[in-house]
Amino acid sequence: METVLSITNLTKKFGRLTAVNNINLEVKRGQVFGMLGPNGSGKTTTLGMLMSVVNPTAGAFSWFGELPSNQVRKKIGAVLEHPIFYPYLSGQKNLELNAMIKECPPENIPNVLELVELTERKDDKYKTYSLGMKQRLAIASALLNDPTVLILDEPTNGLDPMGIAEIRELIKKIAANGKTIILASHLLDEVQKVCSHFAILKRGNLIHTGPVADASKGTETIEVHADVEGLNELLLNFGGTSSIARENGYYQVSLRDSFNSKDLNRFLFEHGVVADHLVTKRKSLEKMFLEILAEANH
Amino acid sequence: MLHLLKIDLKKLTSYRTFWIVCGLYFLTLGFGAASGMELLKLLANTFEKFGQELNINRIPLYHFPDVWMNLVWFSGLIKIVLAIMVVISITNEYTYRTLRQNIIDGMSRSQFLLSKILTNVLLSLMSVAMIFVVGLVTGMIYSPEIRISQMLTDLEFFPAYFLEIFFFLSYALMLGILIQRSGLTIILLLLSQMVETIITANIDNYVPWLIPYFPMKSIWNLIEFPLPRYAFQEIKDYITFGTVVTVIAWTLVFNYISYFKLKRADI
Ligand SMILES: Nc1ncnc2c1ncn2[C@@H]1O[C@H](COP(=O)(O)OP(=O)(O)O)[C@@H](O)[C@H]1O
Ligand SMILES: [Mg+2]
Repeated sequence: METVLSITNLTKKFGRLTAVNNINLEVKRGQVFGMLGPNGSGKTTTLGMLMSVVNPTAGAFSWFGELPSNQVRKKIGAVLEHPIFYPYLSGQKNLELNAMIKECPPENIPNVLELVELTERKDDKYKTYSLGMKQRLAIASALLNDPTVLILDEPTNGLDPMGIAEIRELIKKIAANGKTIILASHLLDEVQKVCSHFAILKRGNLIHTGPVADASKGTETIEVHADVEGLNELLLNFGGTSSIARENGYYQVSLRDSFNSKDLNRFLFEHGVVADHLVTKRKSLEKMFLEILAEANH
Repeated sequence: MLHLLKIDLKKLTSYRTFWIVCGLYFLTLGFGAASGMELLKLLANTFEKFGQELNINRIPLYHFPDVWMNLVWFSGLIKIVLAIMVVISITNEYTYRTLRQNIIDGMSRSQFLLSKILTNVLLSLMSVAMIFVVGLVTGMIYSPEIRISQMLTDLEFFPAYFLEIFFFLSYALMLGILIQRSGLTIILLLLSQMVETIITANIDNYVPWLIPYFPMKSIWNLIEFPLPRYAFQEIKDYITFGTVVTVIAWTLVFNYISYFKLKRADI
């Protein structure tokens, strides 16, 4: 797959503080790439370097195999940290200005305004917008040039639940069109819901990277109950069992890689046991995230 | 280039403060420049009250070619208003963080700076045009006889006036980029002349030859105060090569410092 972004040994120091430490990363075309990390872990600083507003202390990166330049940046739509616009200009005028900067035809403006549902308020001054509207205008602006890559940094920060749901829907809609998206967030749940791949940053260090799907692979737990004697032994005899725990009257069976709930169900049935309760639980990214952070502490 | 200028103008032309400050500047410039004769009459009246006579017809304030130098010198006094607008324009980009977004959206840092410098050029040219028109009209009205040769004399004061305004706007832009906050920048802008005067007064005894090369001083030397010539005093009523070079050199330094700072900063 085509490489959109390639980062090698990227480092940023602010005085004594190392905000980003020797990061290596690749993002391929079509990925929805999540950058996950607690506040202050260096996400915004990394994105700032990728957009040439923060000068790297060391290391390099390339977009589409090209060296960074303002022409390359025009192919990327990015919102870092907060939406930024001229407060005294209307939404429409702000987008017209951005179209001039990006050197793209202003004919796109009505389309992006429609997409983020701001058409009715386009002639109001930006400073009169609600936070959710500001975030949506920022996304509209980022999409103005029909960019190959979209970068969003905490796009749901500070929004109410409805605003959060709206923005996430919007991101999924954009991702469905095949755009590469890089999403920085301190919310696991957000990365889990939206992203295909993710990386975890901690105090400027990249401590994990991989597909979101892999993050929950081989970590299935099955909750089982059946009204028979010796269920415990039977479950232990099942080849896919890695461990069993008993919680709230149910057996919690952790499965080995490449086994799933169907295998367990078939096994029980073949041994004449019909379960009256069988629930598959995937270990969430959240547990992974916490585990990874805990490991990195050692 | 034109595209970059258009971008900066797009930011400014929907900004109310811009119209207020620029309106104030160009109105003061126009009316101020045109009202010299009325001021002289007022002066003559005051003199009369004290029993003295001031024959204002002996002062050819608006006669060709005197009108050019007179207007250009006095108009230079209010360039500070335009400079304050430049400060507001650049510091806004920092306080709103729009400089950061402009770069993210695909401007290079030098393009951003160039868009600001081009606006400075435009504002300077507009000042020149304004004073040229006022000078032309008042000259036509007050000159006893109109000779083309006299009208065309001393026109070199206009390029000098352009240099003076552009020099000062470049200085304001540099201060804004270095300080990034409007209030502090405007205060420093207003204090610059005083600070320089204090410094030059202190080194006067040691290195007096250095003083003409100080930035504010170089402006005063470029176009001298014209009125003493009406009191039978000798003045430098022409532009010298040395002063032009000094002013251009400072202008280049200011813009280069802006470039250097902008290029290196995290924004
Ligand atoms: N301009 C700056 N000057 C000094 N320190 C900074 C600057 N920007 C960010 N930092 C520090 O760098 C670290 C990473 O910040 P940031 O990249 O904003 O994290 P995140 O976006 O993951 O929350 C933080 O400790 C922050 O305080
Ligand atoms: Mg951040």
